[in-house]
Amino acid sequence: MSDQLDQAIARKYDAGFVSDIESDTFPIGLDESVIERISAMKNEPEWMLEWRLQAFRSWLKMKEPDWAHLGYDPIDYQSISYYSAPKSMKDKPKSLDEVDPELLRTYEKLGIPLHEQEMLAGVAVDAVFDSVSVVTTFREKLEEAGVIFCPISEAIQKYPELVKKYIGSVVPKTDNFFAALNCAVFTDGSFVYIPKGVRCPMELSTYFRINELNTGQFERTLIVADEGSYVSYLEGCTAPQRDENQLHAAVVELVALDDAEIKYSTVQNWYPGDENGKGGIYNFVTKRGVCEKNAKISWTQVETGSAITWKYPSCILRGDNSVGEFYSVALTRGRQQADTGTKMIHLGKNTKSTIISKGISAGNSSNAYRGLVKMGPGADGARNFTECDSLLIGDKCAAHTFPYIESSNPSAIVEHEATTSKVSDDQLFLCQQRGLDEEKAISMIVNGFCKEVFKELPMEFAVEAGKLLEISLEGSVG
Amino acid sequence: MSEWLASVVDRAERVDDWLSPARQQALQRLLEQRWPTRRTEAWRYTSLHTLEKLQLPLASAAENSTSEIPVIDGLQSLDFVFENGQFVGVAEAGHKPQPLEQARLPNGLSVHALLDSANTELSAFNKAKPSHHLFGLVNDVLAQQGLVIHIKAGATVAQPIRVVNRLSADVESHHRVLVVVGEGAKATVIEHGFGSCASVSTAFAEFTLAANSQLEHYRFALHGGEAQFFGGSHFNLGEHARLNSTVVGYGSQISRLDIDLNHVGEHAYAKMNAVYLLAPKEHFDLHTSIEHMVPNGTTEENARGIVGDKARAVFNGRIHIHRDAQKTLAELNNRNLLLSRGGHIATKPELEIYADDVQCAHGATVAEIAEKELYYLQTRGIPRSQALVMLNFGFIQELVNQMPNKAISEWLAPQLRERFTAMEQK
Amino acid sequence: MMLTIKDLQASVEDKTILKGLNLTVNAGEVHAIMGPNGAGKSTLGYVLSGREGYEVEQGKVDFDGHDLLDMEVDERAQAGLFLAFQYPVEIPGVSNMEFMKESVNTVRKARGEEPYTAAEFLKIAKAASQQVNLPLDFLKRGVNEGFSGGEKKRNEIMQMILLEPKLCILDESDSGLDIDALKVVADGVNSQRDGKRSFIVVTHYQRLLDFIEPDFVHILADGKIVKSGGPELAKEVEASGYAWLDNGDATATQGATA
Repeated sequence: MSDQLDQAIARKYDAGFVSDIESDTFPIGLDESVIERISAMKNEPEWMLEWRLQAFRSWLKMKEPDWAHLGYDPIDYQSISYYSAPKSMKDKPKSLDEVDPELLRTYEKLGIPLHEQEMLAGVAVDAVFDSVSVVTTFREKLEEAGVIFCPISEAIQKYPELVKKYIGSVVPKTDNFFAALNCAVFTDGSFVYIPKGVRCPMELSTYFRINELNTGQFERTLIVADEGSYVSYLEGCTAPQRDENQLHAAVVELVALDDAEIKYSTVQNWYPGDENGKGGIYNFVTKRGVCEKNAKISWTQVETGSAITWKYPSCILRGDNSVGEFYSVALTRGRQQADTGTKMIHLGKNTKSTIISKGISAGNSSNAYRGLVKMGPGADGARNFTECDSLLIGDKCAAHTFPYIESSNPSAIVEHEATTSKVSDDQLFLCQQRGLDEEKAISMIVNGFCKEVFKELPMEFAVEAGKLLEISLEGSVG
Repeated sequence: MSEWLASVVDRAERVDDWLSPARQQALQRLLEQRWPTRRTEAWRYTSLHTLEKLQLPLASAAENSTSEIPVIDGLQSLDFVFENGQFVGVAEAGHKPQPLEQARLPNGLSVHALLDSANTELSAFNKAKPSHHLFGLVNDVLAQQGLVIHIKAGATVAQPIRVVNRLSADVESHHRVLVVVGEGAKATVIEHGFGSCASVSTAFAEFTLAANSQLEHYRFALHGGEAQFFGGSHFNLGEHARLNSTVVGYGSQISRLDIDLNHVGEHAYAKMNAVYLLAPKEHFDLHTSIEHMVPNGTTEENARGIVGDKARAVFNGRIHIHRDAQKTLAELNNRNLLLSRGGHIATKPELEIYADDVQCAHGATVAEIAEKELYYLQTRGIPRSQALVMLNFGFIQELVNQMPNKAISEWLAPQLRERFTAMEQK
Repeated sequence: MMLTIKDLQASVEDKTILKGLNLTVNAGEVHAIMGPNGAGKSTLGYVLSGREGYEVEQGKVDFDGHDLLDMEVDERAQAGLFLAFQYPVEIPGVSNMEFMKESVNTVRKARGEEPYTAAEFLKIAKAASQQVNLPLDFLKRGVNEGFSGGEKKRNEIMQMILLEPKLCILDESDSGLDIDALKVVADGVNSQRDGKRSFIVVTHYQRLLDFIEPDFVHILADGKIVKSGGPELAKEVEASGYAWLDNGDATATQGATA
């Protein structure tokens, strides 16, 4: 089956089109003047620029991490443009009517209509195109509930106290190489604040689109859930099909104060490159949340895109009784490489974490789970349960599991288990005997394999994720 | 490079014997190595700072004491006795060691001192031991003491062979063992190291199992105190070879053991159990690596440890299934109990899989409580705290019971229990 | 009175299983509890022994003058309550002998008796293992480790003999046994009937009761005792099964408080 499998790998990437939009794009290269220009474009206060420059100076001294199970040519950080925005966005459109119709058409083609009346009911969207936020919907409705949902560039001006207090509080500016780079050059992203005791009345969602050639996308998301509040947030991402690799280095910070809950879901479908590994997004992302007392952060991710995925959404369980969850489906095919997982840092008493990771490898891809569960000396009665399952489709792919477990507390309990399996001939035969073709059979088996994770996604997106997996698997069998 | 390593290199340049061509290669590799830091993955949880600047005299025969090497009751082993890495002689049933030439060896067994083994091909060395082990390379360049043991094809050597090394002086020592088990041969080999003086020692052993051979193996790293110990046991399994190995570690200032198990022939079977019991400030680092290079191999590994007081346990268990190794069955399980607040456990089971038609699994736990078992013991009137103690030791005893040699398990069990009881009372 | 259960209501994972159970057992009596699957038969044994996760929502249980529900699992055992499990758990590494000696001596101590010396214990353990027809070798193995279903049941009865409890609850001790093994179990139980010791024999089938003759038979359905009677009630069940319970026949519950 494997020869046919090779031939059959000609994956359809629905989001691979390029929008014909005139943009203002910085020339390639990175130095302090570029950062000053970004800051000026965004009309930022002095402290923000200073913060960026500090990060940049640290970054210059840092080394790109090499511990992940990934192989790629060195990234030339001077050949990337660090800012690109549609020309039409220069004078901030006041309403949707003023937004360039071509931009709206782009999102419509991606299945994200930005006209509120056409949208999925109950979902507010912030649409980020290259380096700027195009539009944020349902803002008035959210404001009624006291919820702030806006581009982070706007938040820096309108809510400087909130931003100043929390930005970098979860992921410090020198946390790691890619996070430091993001701190220096981030252009846009979303800011969310849920006031005390408020249950956010709708799903919040940010849709990231890279369009311009040779640009990197460095967005930054900050979500603060004040005491006793709740929010469910979803991000999606796509990019055109291009022969060049493009860099995406995002930072997401979540703050869940006492008794708050944040549910963060990602459907990541960046362009993965062609079957020979040409092109595709390099996705180096730092995502982390802090839980205070009785708070809960739940990360759910469906990762099907990107040539390289380097991503470990983590929870610092600082408050007693706080809860961290990580549910992940990572599918790699062609020449894709993923090294993804989570860190659960248990500091408070009776903290709990659950990790469910499903890795699916097909084609010539490589898929690694990497995780850390750490029980600090104060984590009395803390518990972790981890389950990592890998599914291999074909005999040219690879699946790896690298769990790190550290415990310094005698009353903490950690359980990790991992298995590897393949889509068995028996399973296929059974499905086929019942009239399903092989492709449908595989997609059914894979969907079943991922069920535990899909059920964690908001309903509208669970269906989408299933479909995405199906498209991704198309042609993966001979 | 640390001062200590510089002195190793310096000493190595003065070693000249029939192994020199191999030593030269190893020296080259050693020079390319960086001194491990916390960022070095293989040394993430084990710091070498106490070794970094240490300078100890090399061991010589002069340090040897005349005290007897303890026998394992009922085992009736043939003991090859080392002290501080220096070969003393061959002993049986606790008798005075005799020179090697005068020893009466069982049929099928031949043993030579390392430096008298020029008839062994150089290529027989470093076959099973990978070249990335820093202290393996140190041993390569410096070890002049050691044994080359051959089990003739078809022979069954019933008498257990014990290679025992006592650390009794504050010196640095290096010795190595090569065991070649011929086709269809059977043998039992015990590597037994102990002693707690402020020494630095490396002890590496390689085992080549030819087709259809069977080896029962024990590695006891029962050091303690100030000892800084670095060792390894490395196996190549030929077609249909069978290995049953048990590792027992106590830990010391630094105690690091690397086990490599390579399936080079199809249909080989390996079972490995490891037990570590650590207190009060001991550090024990066990790295195991299972390489399935060919199809149809089977490996079962179980490692269990209990950490008390301020001790630190490190376990790293890797399973690597190569592209061609279809139909492999490999399972690894690591379970740990942490009894005290000052203790620390780091464990990392790893799967690296490049073949799809395999069954691989690993699991790792820290301090899971077997509620069902606890309840059962309690319904029989045993208080919870005491039931926990019983279960905790039972968790170690289970692996001890699996040792194929009863004399060894009966010798070891009371020692482990005593250690455990001392930990519990803390 | 050995055991008095009043209006016992208990739940597992928020699901109420026992819904107001009443039962009185006097010293020396043998009570059989029968009932369909899911009636709460095993739950009763777990609740009385104090298993974690079995929440008592309501009711009182007096055991030989103690407030049973106020005691830890091991305290109940030390007070003389014994539960023979339907599926005894395996505990590898903990030797059967060591375990039983520990257990017997702890219980003896609680009764104010001298603990057995190793030699004394070996002697009585040998006798008990012979009585249940379990080779001596089983004492050296891990608790229930690698035992067959029948061997596990016999190991339970051996523990019962050694612990000399006041009240024995046998949870489906007949399930999965052939007729010979069943006789061994029954003989072991009968040998312990001394006019003072009480038994609650929980079983789905009447078969076991041919060998251990009960003084009273109770039918447990949906968390309550719905009918009580003498040994003839078991025969009735044997003949007509439990189907009559499903009829919602209110009259069937008459006499439940006998």
